[in-house]
Amino acid sequence: MANSLRSYLTCIRNTLDAAMCLQNFPCQEVERHNKPEVELKTSPELLLNPILICRNEAEKCLIETSINSIRVSIKVKQADELENILAKKFLRFLSMRAEAFQVLRRKPVQGYDLSFLITNYHCEDMHKHKLIDFIVQFMEDIDKEISELKLSVNTRGRLVATEFLKQFI
Amino acid sequence: MACFNRASPALVEILSRLLSAERQIDADHCFYEFGSVKYHVQALASEPQNIYLSVLTPPLSPEFLLTNSLPNYLLHDIKNMYSDIVEIIIPPKEGFLLTMRLAVAKFPDHEENRRKMITEISSIQAVILSLQLKDMLWNLGSQDKTNGICKPIQLVYHPREPFFVVRMIEKITAIFPMRFKDNSDVVIATSFFQELMDVGYSVSCAKAPHCTWSPIPPQELRGESFQHLTTNGGFVSFDIFPQHVKGAKEDKTVWILLNFYAYVKHYVKCTRAFIQRKMRQRLESMVEVIRKARIGSEDHKTLRSGLQKGCPSVKKVFRLPKSKIFKKNYGKFSNQVRKIRWRIKVKGLHRFRRRWFKIPKFISLRKYTKLD
Repeated sequence: MANSLRSYLTCIRNTLDAAMCLQNFPCQEVERHNKPEVELKTSPELLLNPILICRNEAEKCLIETSINSIRVSIKVKQADELENILAKKFLRFLSMRAEAFQVLRRKPVQGYDLSFLITNYHCEDMHKHKLIDFIVQFMEDIDKEISELKLSVNTRGRLVATEFLKQFI
Repeated sequence: MACFNRASPALVEILSRLLSAERQIDADHCFYEFGSVKYHVQALASEPQNIYLSVLTPPLSPEFLLTNSLPNYLLHDIKNMYSDIVEIIIPPKEGFLLTMRLAVAKFPDHEENRRKMITEISSIQAVILSLQLKDMLWNLGSQDKTNGICKPIQLVYHPREPFFVVRMIEKITAIFPMRFKDNSDVVIATSFFQELMDVGYSVSCAKAPHCTWSPIPPQELRGESFQHLTTNGGFVSFDIFPQHVKGAKEDKTVWILLNFYAYVKHYVKCTRAFIQRKMRQRLESMVEVIRKARIGSEDHKTLRSGLQKGCPSVKKVFRLPKSKIFKKNYGKFSNQVRKIRWRIKVKGLHRFRRRWFKIPKFISLRKYTKLD
């Protein structure tokens, strides 16, 4: 793993570790309701300052924290048009299967490619350190998958092009 | 057109059936292929020695309009290509460009040879197109020369996908304006074109035609109408030199050029499927991580790991204690005995009995449940 990527992921891991101290908190606006405050943003006293971690212009991570929920938004690296298309396809594919991931948001926050919403219920249901591991590994996997896909598409293209031109010989 | 085979599969099937039939029966098949090529196959019981095949193909170029039938030199070429099995009927059947009479008796008896001959006859549409294109390349366009370059000939193999052929002194350039519906298709195809260019420069494909791709129209198309020059996938050009159209290579080269669009579209489609397959494979490993994060997932895993592989519902049966299995089997056995002893059988009575004459179970006060 590249040095910059390692430090970027470590920073996200540490920030999530610090931010993920969620507790059950009923909605202050509607009685008998319990909603993720990070989404509603109705009471400013329940929100913490959002943290933006950037690796570069194209790769960044926004961590928004509230008393009962955390929202993690990721922007994935897209170096060229092919990577852009592959990232779009893959992220759309994952978003459509969001229920399998439980914490994945179907629609990302504006300006980002992918968002997670973690509530206090998720923290009660899952191991905190494993949940953080999941997010970090998810980010790693997406990068890896897009790079692999790009490589495979180009390799495939080269093979097909060779076969096509060999027909003339 | 999405068929890379020269022979029409439907025509091969029909001709094979007609030729393998023991007794000739009346058959009249009229069908379209790719929406624009029309075939008519007719076999008459009164004339068992012949089968009539008519073909209609759209003109390859607006400059090469075919009125009623193919020109004589093309008919002559077609006749030369096939053996004495095929006889061309002049004038052709109304609404068709070419009508041929196939002599059933002259088809080879050997199965393999017969199939080969049927395939050759079924590729008549490809033959007509190849001959038209060859004719255009070598004979036409010599009038409009400017600086040794002929005016580009527009070829319409598919109504929405015209391409251009420019004849020069030492070579022929085929230019394909590439258009795609989807933006992602454009990107996939563009990467393919770049690979095509790179591979063309390599040593292994040095003898292949030189291929270039550019997002802007090439110089040769200067003066063409705006609608032909508007593309989202750029322009792919192939420089065909005399060595690429020498002897038997000629037919092959022409067919490859005619099918270039179909080839690219097929590649794009397959690549999309490939990407989808790869994503599906990755999904499973990603979901596994979040599954493991659940509290109690490890216990569940260890419990499952001890079991044998197979259907989970079957495993439950094996986990039952012996006493329960015995009770279950005893219950089945006693039911069967009761059924045998019941002399008068009334349909549905057992259900009625079970519902209305059921003796409620009383839990004994002395009975206790064992606490773990």
